[in-house]
Amino acid sequence: MAAADICELNLTELSRLIAARDLSSSEVVSATLAHLERLEDKLNAFITVLREPALAAAKKADEDITRGQNRGPLHGVPVTIKDMFETAGVRTTGGSKILADWIPETDAALVERLNAAGAIIIGKTNLDEFGHGGTSTLSHFGPVHNPWNLDRIAGGSSGGSAAAVASGIGPLSYGTETGSSVRRPASYCGITGFKPTFGVISRQGSFRGAWSQDHVGLFARSVKDITLGLDTVAGFDARDPASVHQENPAYAARLDANVKGLRVGVLGRFLDEVNPEVRQAFDAALKVLAGTGCELIDLDVPEVSYAAMTSMMTSSAESAGINRRWFRERHQDFVPHVSRGIAAGMTITASEYLTIQRARHRIREALRATYERVDIIASPTTARVAPLLTDGVKGNGDDTRHASYNHSNLLRFPSMLGLPGCSLPCGFNAEGMPIGMQLIGNWFTDQTVLNTAFAYERTTDWHTRRPALVRT
Amino acid sequence: MKNEEKVAQRLALLDGIDLSPADLEWIASEIEDFERMVAELEEFGQDTPWTALQVQPRDKKV
Repeated sequence: MAAADICELNLTELSRLIAARDLSSSEVVSATLAHLERLEDKLNAFITVLREPALAAAKKADEDITRGQNRGPLHGVPVTIKDMFETAGVRTTGGSKILADWIPETDAALVERLNAAGAIIIGKTNLDEFGHGGTSTLSHFGPVHNPWNLDRIAGGSSGGSAAAVASGIGPLSYGTETGSSVRRPASYCGITGFKPTFGVISRQGSFRGAWSQDHVGLFARSVKDITLGLDTVAGFDARDPASVHQENPAYAARLDANVKGLRVGVLGRFLDEVNPEVRQAFDAALKVLAGTGCELIDLDVPEVSYAAMTSMMTSSAESAGINRRWFRERHQDFVPHVSRGIAAGMTITASEYLTIQRARHRIREALRATYERVDIIASPTTARVAPLLTDGVKGNGDDTRHASYNHSNLLRFPSMLGLPGCSLPCGFNAEGMPIGMQLIGNWFTDQTVLNTAFAYERTTDWHTRRPALVRT
Repeated sequence: MKNEEKVAQRLALLDGIDLSPADLEWIASEIEDFERMVAELEEFGQDTPWTALQVQPRDKKV
């Protein structure tokens, strides 16, 4: 099989071919590395590429397969991880000058689980510094470019991961989300992004953005692939205080497109300022969901209008606490915009932080009641397609700081409350830029979210589109 | 307290950090926003119970 064809295969297909010995892990990893090296000058999606270790691990994976030792669906499959996760013996930068040469001695929990599953980590992806941003332009290592249009941002903070998967540089990538850092770049790059309920994937060994909102999430080109990647890394880890007990994860085995009767709520008042092309794509997606048997329900939850500023202030205070020492010692080494944000966060007092948490609890209670009426809340993931790099950090256009019916509240409430959420492609605008829809479920109904996304995906082909860059 | 005094009081928390005038201007503007947002959120959350921030030790988790 030609190298370019290998890079178009998704995780499910690669896994089957490797297990059947129709393709070797070495072939797949070599092809993916060559593809990465061909595109990286354009994308800047990676901070560190693990060429030699990946090839060695692929050889070992092939030997294991020959001996009949297949460690599961990720065995021998090339994956990428955001450079937020510690990797023993491999530099881990967080996209920051401060840690530009730091080499950890231990692996993050995520890396431990990927290694145990036989996955081949081929590179560590670029990001906004320590996850502080929504553009992936706030990196010491330069901005990530969107594979659909190199003049546009990939979204952040997990932009390198999203750009890699959208470009066929591995079928799966792991990122983190504190505000919208998985769903936003997934939407901007035309792929599927999922962040589970808070505590489902251990965050041990990853940098904190804001501890009460940080999640590990993942990117793929299909919902089935997301479930395979989730099964591999989900599960209790006592080292993460937020980690939750759960039965053996079996999201892939339980994937079911029968969503007849599922109640899908729409918070219509928050959609007034959404770009018309995005709105049109979302309305069409709702019709598809209705066609699968979902019941559409209009919702009005005014408390959500406080979500963006509650989330933003919580993040500011917590990130200031996390970075306090580094900031006092070497604030000039932070990316300037990130540095200013940390400084501002350091001025939030303890009593104010607690007051903000009280507001957050009111929003939580409002959503708890809402999920007695619906199973899923659907919305456009972002109000507009990926902005131009030249638009800067305000380009996302959702820095709302007032109680309002601005769409950015819909982007912010899921991470702030720890709800499971999936962004999946639902169309393109006239310029060929992807549009995403997000499906947000009740706490611990991750399977319902994935099933709904799966049902939608099965009746549409948006997820099969690839950027022209991939084949040029 | 006047707004300028509130901003100055908060900026004092950053004493000892060598920030440029441009940085200070940006941070002061951010602080003014914080003042307003905290006031809005305080009113919004005032009848809500204070949340529990306890976390069980690892060997006691259910």
